[in-house]
Amino acid sequence: MDEVLQIRNLAKAFGATQALKNISFDIARGEARALLGENGAGKSTCVKILNGLVRPDSGTIRLSGREYRPTGLSDAQRAGVSTAFQELSLIPDLSVAVNLAMPTLPTNGLNLIRFDEVRRRAERTLASYNIFDIDPASLVSSLTLSDKQRLEIIRALSRAPTLLILDEPTAALTDVGWVYERVRALKAEGRAVLFITHRLKEARDLCERATVLRNGEIAGTVDLREASDNELFRLMIGRSMGTAFPDRPDKVKPTNEDQHDDIVLSVEGLRSGTFGPATLSVRQGEIVGVAALEGQGQRALFNALAGIERITAGEVRVRGQRVKLKSPAVAKKHGISFVPEERKEEGLFFGLLTRANISISNIGHVRRWGLVARNAEIEGISGVSGAVDLHLRYHDFPVDALSGGNQQKALIARALFAGPRCLLMFDPTRGVDVGTKQAIYSVIRKAASEGTGILLYSTELRELTALSDRCVVIYGNRIVGERRSESLKEEELLERMHHGHAESAKEEVQGGREPRAKSL
Amino acid sequence: MVGSRVLSLYSRSPSSVSITLYIVMFVVYACAQGHFVATPYGLSVLLNNSISLAVGATSLTFVILTGGFDLSLAGTVALTNTILSVAGFNGVGGAIEALVVVCGVGAIIGTVNGLLVAYYKLQSIAVTLGTMIMTSGIALFMLNAPGGNVPDSIAYGLTGLLGPVPVAIIILVPFTAAMAVLLNYTRFGIGVFAIGQDRTAARASGVNVEWTEFRAYLTAGVVAGLSGYLVSAETGTGDPRFDASFLLLAFAAVAIGGTSFRGGRGTVVGSVVGAGLLELIQKTLFAIGVSSFFTGMFEGALMILAVLVGSLGSLMAARRSAAS
Repeated sequence: MDEVLQIRNLAKAFGATQALKNISFDIARGEARALLGENGAGKSTCVKILNGLVRPDSGTIRLSGREYRPTGLSDAQRAGVSTAFQELSLIPDLSVAVNLAMPTLPTNGLNLIRFDEVRRRAERTLASYNIFDIDPASLVSSLTLSDKQRLEIIRALSRAPTLLILDEPTAALTDVGWVYERVRALKAEGRAVLFITHRLKEARDLCERATVLRNGEIAGTVDLREASDNELFRLMIGRSMGTAFPDRPDKVKPTNEDQHDDIVLSVEGLRSGTFGPATLSVRQGEIVGVAALEGQGQRALFNALAGIERITAGEVRVRGQRVKLKSPAVAKKHGISFVPEERKEEGLFFGLLTRANISISNIGHVRRWGLVARNAEIEGISGVSGAVDLHLRYHDFPVDALSGGNQQKALIARALFAGPRCLLMFDPTRGVDVGTKQAIYSVIRKAASEGTGILLYSTELRELTALSDRCVVIYGNRIVGERRSESLKEEELLERMHHGHAESAKEEVQGGREPRAKSL
Repeated sequence: MVGSRVLSLYSRSPSSVSITLYIVMFVVYACAQGHFVATPYGLSVLLNNSISLAVGATSLTFVILTGGFDLSLAGTVALTNTILSVAGFNGVGGAIEALVVVCGVGAIIGTVNGLLVAYYKLQSIAVTLGTMIMTSGIALFMLNAPGGNVPDSIAYGLTGLLGPVPVAIIILVPFTAAMAVLLNYTRFGIGVFAIGQDRTAARASGVNVEWTEFRAYLTAGVVAGLSGYLVSAETGTGDPRFDASFLLLAFAAVAIGGTSFRGGRGTVVGSVVGAGLLELIQKTLFAIGVSSFFTGMFEGALMILAVLVGSLGSLMAARRSAAS
């Protein structure tokens, strides 16, 4: 028995979205395998299934030859699968030592916890990983993010797993060297490692082979010593999936770059939380794409512009006028409308009717005698619901009775109903079917052609290259590059998204031509 | 600088606010009352009136630490008080029997709450409001008007002195210590804090979230039964329509004691001292001749003050980390 992990025909659907289909791969004893793929390719679903957090619809998993069907995290840990999660699983207001010892804290004859032993064990564990700068008695909440991440990894390692899963463990780490050492030691002991990462260099340093996921399927398993970065990127993007994008309108672009009178939204030196400084502008009728890997700060940018997160520094101008985006209401007043990422959590009011969900952003416009009137409401929103292709008959249903696609249309209709001069869209086509995607693409185009400036983030690079006039790349909380759409190639964007500006010198060589817009 | 250090102590050790306030108030009370306060009898009067509230607040603390709410305390107290006043327990043996019965009744109520909240994922406020109304109803069925007699062995045995020491101290100190140990020195207790702080992380850390939450409600039920036992000792009679303000005061005691209603942060000691503080304020205001109409105002203001001081430290910490 040489395979530690054996996955066969794994499939999982969430509603209409097929998150995984027909996934099969093995990890051998002493092997570290990289799992690569774009956002939403199915990596995190894989991790969740292996940890028992999600049950697969079909398929089998074998761990060291035995059938493996975890019912939950503790069950997975007992079976020998241990994970260092990207979203940390440490308890904030308990000490480092207690967190390391969870859940089986050592007890004495009276079943009372022996805190001296807990502390000794923690000291021993930390020392064995050459970590002397974390006090076992300190609370986890007092640690830096990087230290929390170290602790998360150490805890996963200290459970002596048969299969160690590292779910993007290095995102916040300042020093990755010791992780490498540990992983090599595990390999030497004949254990297996599954390494989920966005950083190709780290995958190459640690793993022999990589399995690439794309749209929930295996795009290929390659030998990392032979495959070039470009080959990997191509596997991750794949060929066109047959989605048709509306044609680019032949509008006359202002040739003079210094002409500023048509800029609807501009920021200079913007900082919010850890994001920034960033300088960016959106012109009237322009679609500016934002390309970024998961968690590079794009969320902070959108939230700041929508007035949700506090802007700590920098200048924001709407049509040349300086504004302070103190709250979403203020942002709305200045004509900034936001289509958030999570339509359930951040967007729609489940339980309210669809029409109420659309009109709520501008409820004052659908009143009669000071009260919200059904007819006035339907009349008021007929324009925008037509624009997003949401049929009239849905208006009197609670919005949660609608399909995901129609919910998304309602959310976009609401954003449009506010009559925005600038529309912020955060991954508007996430988890919707192809038909709805088409409708959303036309909405975006139409809104732009009517003069709305649009800032569009998408996890699907095809959308960015096909829709936007210009595209900025965000990496490590900064804008690291900008491209005009005529020169927009997915591979190039992806390359930049993975390497940030540190390796920007490569782009001329690998892109094979000179970038037209200058990089920031 | 000193101020910020004191504040950070208060935010790190939530019960220190109420302990400080208790000492201050006690001095005021002692000045107003003279040497009587420090006599065993004076102490036992003070304690006898607050021990049931202290135990009731402890019951709430377990559930509040998990991030839930337990309103059933009021019903459990009413029901156990009624049972004690009608069942006719007698002598020391009867007092022990009665203790087992009330804790058993509390355990049953806690089990129902725990099953429905932890395993069936129902909202804790709704479930415990339901059990509260139900148990009050049962109490009213058993005794339709205030009356009945709590056995003397309980009524006098628990409120008097044992030698020079008030019996209440003999109960309260070991009880508080045992509960504090249960919360801070057992896997169950650590689990309670863990699920109150971050359910997902607790699960990922291997805590059996449902089982821990269930046991928190069960413990709360048993302790609520004990609280009813002490209430009966204090009043000496049965009252099926037990005052719901007891429940609100118990919540106030928990808040004054520095336990966060958001869950995951708090102490038993704080809740016990908080309960004592509420009683002490009443007595002090009475002693210095303030009309009892003002008691509520003072107690409410004190509660808000305690919550404010408890959160100041973390507010400042947040500002510091935002600035750096």
